[in-house]
Amino acid sequence: MPMQTDFDVVIIGSGTGGAPIAHELVKQQKSVLVLEKGPLFRTQSQTPNELSDFKRDELYADGAEKRITFPSAANAHNAFFSSHVEPDINDEPHIYRDANGQDRVTIEGYTAQVVGGGTQIYGGVSLRFTQRDLTLQTFNAGRTDLAATDPSGEIEREARDWPLLYTELEKYYCKAEKLVGINGQQGNQLKPFTENDTYQQPLPPNAISRYAHDGMVYIGQGAGPGDSDVLPYRTPLAVITEDHPPSGRRMIPVPDGAKTSYVNRFGDPIGLKSSTWISLLAPLYDERNLEIRANCVVTQLVATGTRITEVRYLDPSGREQSVRGKIVVVACSAIESIRLLKLSSELDPLGFGKLINQQNDLLGKYFLTHAFGGASSIMPDRSDKTRSLDADWATDYCATDDFLQAKHLWAGSVIYNNTSDQALPISLGRTHSAADLDTLWHGFANDFGLIGQGMVDFLDNDMGRGLSVSFMANQVPQKNNRIELHPTVRDKWNRPVAYIIKSWHQHDRYLMDTLAMECANILRAGDNSTHDYKVSGFGGVYNGENGIARIANHILGGARFGDDAGDSVLDPDCRVWGFENLYVTDGAFMPTSGGANPTLTIQANSFRVADKIGGRL
Amino acid sequence: MKIIANDEQYILNHCTKYLARKNTDSRHNFGQYESEDPRARICEAWRFPIVDSYAGIGDEDHYAFNRVTFVYHADAANPPNQVGVIGTFANLYEPISLLPVRFLDATTDYLAVSVRIPKGRAYRYKFIVDDKVILDPINPQRIFEANGQWWSRFFTNLCTQPLSFETWEFSILERLVDHIMPFRTDTGQDFLQFFYNYLDKQQKTNQYAFAYRLDQPIGITNFIDNLVAREERHHLIDYKICLRIIGQIIRRRMPDVEPAKAPKEIFIDLYGEMASGKVNDWDVTQYGDPAYFLQILRRHAFTGAFSHPKYGGNVGALGWRYLADRFKDSEGATLFDWSRSIEPPLGVNPDYRG
Repeated sequence: MPMQTDFDVVIIGSGTGGAPIAHELVKQQKSVLVLEKGPLFRTQSQTPNELSDFKRDELYADGAEKRITFPSAANAHNAFFSSHVEPDINDEPHIYRDANGQDRVTIEGYTAQVVGGGTQIYGGVSLRFTQRDLTLQTFNAGRTDLAATDPSGEIEREARDWPLLYTELEKYYCKAEKLVGINGQQGNQLKPFTENDTYQQPLPPNAISRYAHDGMVYIGQGAGPGDSDVLPYRTPLAVITEDHPPSGRRMIPVPDGAKTSYVNRFGDPIGLKSSTWISLLAPLYDERNLEIRANCVVTQLVATGTRITEVRYLDPSGREQSVRGKIVVVACSAIESIRLLKLSSELDPLGFGKLINQQNDLLGKYFLTHAFGGASSIMPDRSDKTRSLDADWATDYCATDDFLQAKHLWAGSVIYNNTSDQALPISLGRTHSAADLDTLWHGFANDFGLIGQGMVDFLDNDMGRGLSVSFMANQVPQKNNRIELHPTVRDKWNRPVAYIIKSWHQHDRYLMDTLAMECANILRAGDNSTHDYKVSGFGGVYNGENGIARIANHILGGARFGDDAGDSVLDPDCRVWGFENLYVTDGAFMPTSGGANPTLTIQANSFRVADKIGGRL
Repeated sequence: MKIIANDEQYILNHCTKYLARKNTDSRHNFGQYESEDPRARICEAWRFPIVDSYAGIGDEDHYAFNRVTFVYHADAANPPNQVGVIGTFANLYEPISLLPVRFLDATTDYLAVSVRIPKGRAYRYKFIVDDKVILDPINPQRIFEANGQWWSRFFTNLCTQPLSFETWEFSILERLVDHIMPFRTDTGQDFLQFFYNYLDKQQKTNQYAFAYRLDQPIGITNFIDNLVAREERHHLIDYKICLRIIGQIIRRRMPDVEPAKAPKEIFIDLYGEMASGKVNDWDVTQYGDPAYFLQILRRHAFTGAFSHPKYGGNVGALGWRYLADRFKDSEGATLFDWSRSIEPPLGVNPDYRG
C-alpha cells in the first residue's frame, strides 16, 4: 500500500497543543496525521515485551555528563546533563544572549521530544488560569500605583486582554480535565467551575505537605473578598487515581502505589500520568483515520497563495518526504514553532515569508515565560518523600484583585508546594544549591565539605526534610523578548537554531521578590505553634546564576493571538493572519503567560480550536 | 542465546535521534575520540549496541538477562546486501543476521537484531557486512585481544569484569571513594556489618552474586569502571592520569607503604589539598586542576552509590538500604521506602517491570 500523503489535517507536534486537536478530529472521522520529531515511547502494556522505554531510573531523568562543544558559545566546554527525551544540545542547541551580550547554549526552554511532548515528563500540575489572567489590559488600564516599578508605563502599553473570556474557555477546561484525566479539588479555588465532576479524587498528601497546608491556611486568613478566608486546595495533577473510562485506563489495585516520586522529569512506564499520548492519542491509535509518524522532523511549510500546500519532513532515516493537509496545525512548543515558521520564511521569502510578515513584524516577538521562584526550608521532622506525586497543596490568595492592588502588582499567581523534588538521592545531590537544568551538579561539585561525615550530615539533614513552596506568575510582555534564528549556529540538519533574546522587566523582579516573600511567609507560618519557622532561602529566578535564561520549560508567546491583525500573529481562533489553513496552538498563542502552569490552558484552548477546525472541514 | 523478534518502533525510537543527521561536525567529542574520528559526529554513540531490560513473557529467570540490540546504519547510497553479527555471546562462528528495519512499509537505513544475553559480563563482537568483517562503526568500545585482533565490545548490566582500571588503580580509587561516601564512617560501617551479618548464606549468594569484592563498599569503584568505559568515556583519561599522580604522591609521602594501604590521614590530607587546588608535589604539567578531578570523582561516587544497581554500583541496593535503615519514624517504619517503586526481584512493586 503506498504511503498516504493527503490528510484532512496535518498536526506538527503531539504534545499539549497538538494532541487535543488530533483527538477531537479523529473522533469526528477526519483523517489526521501527527508528525512528531521524537520517538514513540510506550507504556508497558503497549509493547510486545511488556517493557516501557520509560524507567524508574534516576539516570534517565538526567543522564551522563556531556559537554557543550560550540566554540563560539561563552559556555563552551561546560558540562550538561539532559534527560533521555530532551534533545542533545550539541545537535540542536537553543542559544540565548546573556547579560553581557554573549551567546550561551542552554537546555532551558526545551520540553521533551517524544510523542506526548512535555506532558510525558512534566510534574502534571494542571491549573486553570484565573479570569483576571485573561484581562490584564483592562485591569491595568489607568493604574498609577505601578509607577515605582514600571516608570515608563510599559505594562499599560503592552498588556493585552485575551480575545476570549474565561467563560468561553471554561467548557473546554472542563473537557480537558475530564478527557486528560486529572485529580484535584475544585473547592477553595478562586476560579469558577460550571461542572462539578471534572476531577478524580486526589490521593492522600505526603506527610511533609502538612506544613505547607497549615502555612497556607494561616496566611490566607481574611485574604479573600470581603475579608473572607482563602483556603488551600489539592493541586490538580494529571495523574489518574481511579479508572479513567475516556482513555480506557484502569487504576492499579493499590492506588497509593501511584505515589513513587518518579514523576517530574520521568515518563511513566505504567501510564497513570496523563500524558497526551496515553490519554488522547493512544485510545485512538488503532483508528484508520489517525496516523502518528514518530521520529519525523518537519523542515518546511510550503505556501501557495494563502494556503499551506505542502509539509516537508525528514523521516527516521533523514530522507525528505512530503505530505498535504487541508488544515495544518503547528504545535511543536513555542520556540520550535516560531523557528519552523521563520525557517519556512527563510526558505521561501517571497511566498511564505511575505505572507507571514505582511501584517506586522510580530512573529517571534513578545516571547514569554513565567516569573517564578519560591522559598524552601528544612522541616523539623522527616517524611518519606518518595511517597509523592509532584505537588500537594495550592492556594489562590495571591491572585485576587485586592491582593494585586494592595501589593502594587500587575498580575497574580498561584502558589503551591512541591513534594517530589529532592525525594530521591541523586536528585538531592544534583540539585543541591542548583535550581535549573543548566546548573545541575554545580552546587554539589563546589561543596567540597560533602565527604565522609560531611556526606552523612548532608543526607541526614536534607533527605526527606526539604519543603519548597513556589509561585508561577505572569511575566510582563516586552516586544524585545523574542525568538529569532541564530545567524551562525546550525543544528544537526544544518538548519539555523533558535536564538532566545530575553530579559526581565523591572516589574518582573519586583513581582518575584514580592511573591517569593509570600512563599517564605507560608513556610514560616507552617509551624503551628510559633508561625515563625526558619526559612532556608527564598527568591525569584532572576537572582540565579543564569537567571536571564530561566524558562521553567514554560515557553509561551511569540505568536500571540488577538482581534486586531495589526497587533497579533494569530486570529482569535489561532489561525495565522493572512493564511487560510495554518494554525498555531502551542503556548505561542498566549499574549500573557497566566498565573499558573500553562499546560491545561493550552490543552483547553486546543480543544476549542479543534471545534473551530472541525467546523471548517 | 535467543533472538528476539524485531520491534521496529523500538529500534527507530532508539536510532533516529542519535544517528540520523546531515551535519558532519565533530560535535560529540569531549575528549573521548581522536580528532577526525567519524563517531564524534554521532550523538551518544555509547548507546550502541542498545542494552536494555529483558522481560520475556513466561521466562522465569528473565532478570538474569538483557535485551541487546545490534544496529548497523547503512550508507543510503550504497546499501549492503547482508549484515550479520558474530560475538562471544553466541557461537562465535555463526553470524546472526541483522534485518532491515521498516518504516511505513519501506526500508530505512537501519538494520538490526535483538538478542537475549546474560547480565554481568563483557562480550566482544564484529559485524560481517557482505562478507567483509568489520568493527561496529558506531560503538566507541573497542578492545585489543591477545591474539592481535581488534574487536568491538559491549557489556551487560551488573558487569563486574574490570573494564577500565588495573588492580592498583582500583585500590587507590577505592580509598578515595571510601573517604567521600559515608560507608566507611562508623555509621556506614555499622550498617554494612549489620546488614551483611543479618543475611543467611543463600541471601548472601543472591545479594552479592554480582559483587566481586565485598571490601569494596557497595560497588562504587565498579560503577565508575563501567561508567568511564561507556557513557563518560571522556573522563577515563582524568582517572588514568590522576590515579597515577596520586599513587606517586603517596609513595613519596609514605615510602614504606603500598599507596592503597596508606593510613587514612594521608588520604584526608590529600583530599583537603586537592579541594584547595594546591597539592604539594602534584605535577600540574600532567594534570592542571586536582580540584576538578575531585569534583568528577565525587559526582561519580555519589551517583554510583545511589543509582539503580544495574549500572554496577549500589550492589544489592545497599546504598538505598543504607538510607532506608538510617531514616525511620518513631515506630521503626522506614522513611525511604525505595523498594515499593522498584521492579521485582530487586524491589517489590507489583506493577512495574523494570
